Amino acid sequence: MVADDDLTAALTALRAVGRRSSVARTLQGDVEQRLLQSIVEATASLFDAEASSIALHETDPDRLEFRVAAGAQGAGAVGLVVKPTEGIAGYVFSTGQGLSMTDVASDPRFDLEAAERTGYVPRSIACVPLLDDEGTIGVLQVLDKRGSPSFSLRDMELLAIFARQATTAITATRVQRDTVRLLREVLGQIADESMTDEQVESVVSKATEGLDDDPDAGPFWQLVDHVALMRGLGERDLNLIGEILEVVARHAQRARRRA
Amino acid sequence: MRLRGISRDWAWGGSTGAGIRVGIIDSGLEADHPRLAGRVVESVAVELEDDEAEVVPDDGKDLYGHATACGGIIVEMAPDVELVSIRVLGADLRGKGAAFAAGLEWAIDQGIDVLNLSLSSKSETLFPVFHDLVDRAYFKRVVLVSAANNVPAASYPSLFSSVLSVAAHGEPDPLRLYYNPAPPVEFGAWGVDVPMAWKDGGSTVATGNSFAAPHVAAMVALILSKHRGLTPFEVKAVLAAVADNPR
Repeated sequence: MVADDDLTAALTALRAVGRRSSVARTLQGDVEQRLLQSIVEATASLFDAEASSIALHETDPDRLEFRVAAGAQGAGAVGLVVKPTEGIAGYVFSTGQGLSMTDVASDPRFDLEAAERTGYVPRSIACVPLLDDEGTIGVLQVLDKRGSPSFSLRDMELLAIFARQATTAITATRVQRDTVRLLREVLGQIADESMTDEQVESVVSKATEGLDDDPDAGPFWQLVDHVALMRGLGERDLNLIGEILEVVARHAQRARRRA
Repeated sequence: MRLRGISRDWAWGGSTGAGIRVGIIDSGLEADHPRLAGRVVESVAVELEDDEAEVVPDDGKDLYGHATACGGIIVEMAPDVELVSIRVLGADLRGKGAAFAAGLEWAIDQGIDVLNLSLSSKSETLFPVFHDLVDRAYFKRVVLVSAANNVPAASYPSLFSSVLSVAAHGEPDPLRLYYNPAPPVEFGAWGVDVPMAWKDGGSTVATGNSFAAPHVAAMVALILSKHRGLTPFEVKAVLAAVADNPR
């Protein structure tokens, strides 16, 4: 078992990591969500499709969760959860092989129930994997291209290009999104045999507790919000802000020494 | 360079695939599906226990329908082949590279003549494993036919040179074959709007590279049935010779 002092030190360090990551997430805003949304909108529009959506893989429990959707019939898909072992999305996710199907509603393999939950049952569907360096992280799918009963090879290639964009957006923000998972993995590796899974879990939850609280809760988060606003500024403005902050920091140091 | 004297009639004229076993490494064949015409002779599944893979008898069901689709395409072209179902997908496997590798190893060790692969792995740690398996298959005269991945990223074993990697073309002819000597895809076969079997006795029409691969796997079975003992490189040479884009 880990000594108390070590545990306190580890907690402090973990909390610092969590805090930084939380700051990064705030600074970044919901970039991922906006990017994904713009990708499904572009996909639906380019294909002149009834709907386009992106599902991402989540664990505990193992599932594919539809995060964004676009198109006249897309809205019902957001929030929909399907098992990775079922349906077309599940197969594409499991194998990393894109495929498309025609006349899906009349086929027994089609997860009609899931489709009905979205309020829309498609005739045709095209689905491609979102692949990062380690494997499949989700799927991008398009339903019912207007004016065509099926999807062409060119359609599948175009979809794969959109899928790459989506993957880039997701991986760029993943570390921020998955702070808890990251901490759990790192701690699990470091602790090796000396801590049980439950102990790791308890340390991680202590370290990350309250990190996502209301950003208005303290002056620190107000500062983070100000910095977030500065993201769009040019070099001159940023230099100016840098100089001002330097003066403020020096002032703070002097004030602390006097005290 | 045209390989003279090799025609389609020579390659597979009169062949039905008799005596050739084709393994489908996928979601498991639905053994009693009418379009598989009772050609499934064995069904196994890979089980992972603490990352240790074990090959066990399977129940002849298809979780998704994909394997059955591939099997049906092959039986239609080569009606006398024997199909072996090797299931590496499922509730607990979900396309894990280790299960895929274990299924592939089992199939190669069984000396199954042709293996149809719809999966690929991007795992760098499995790269040497697949490399070793693919070499083992090559020298055991087991022909591996793999669906090319349609994303521009490394995926194994479809990128290894002794594997027949296949992409889809849109001409509705099961025997329409293109040869492409430049990587990453070596052969083109029908894979757009292909009518096929699907789970629960059903059927569908679908598009994807993974439906092009079984067309080539069937051609390989036809060739091997007529010309027993050809090596994978000889099979490739025959396919290149009878392709619809002679060089």
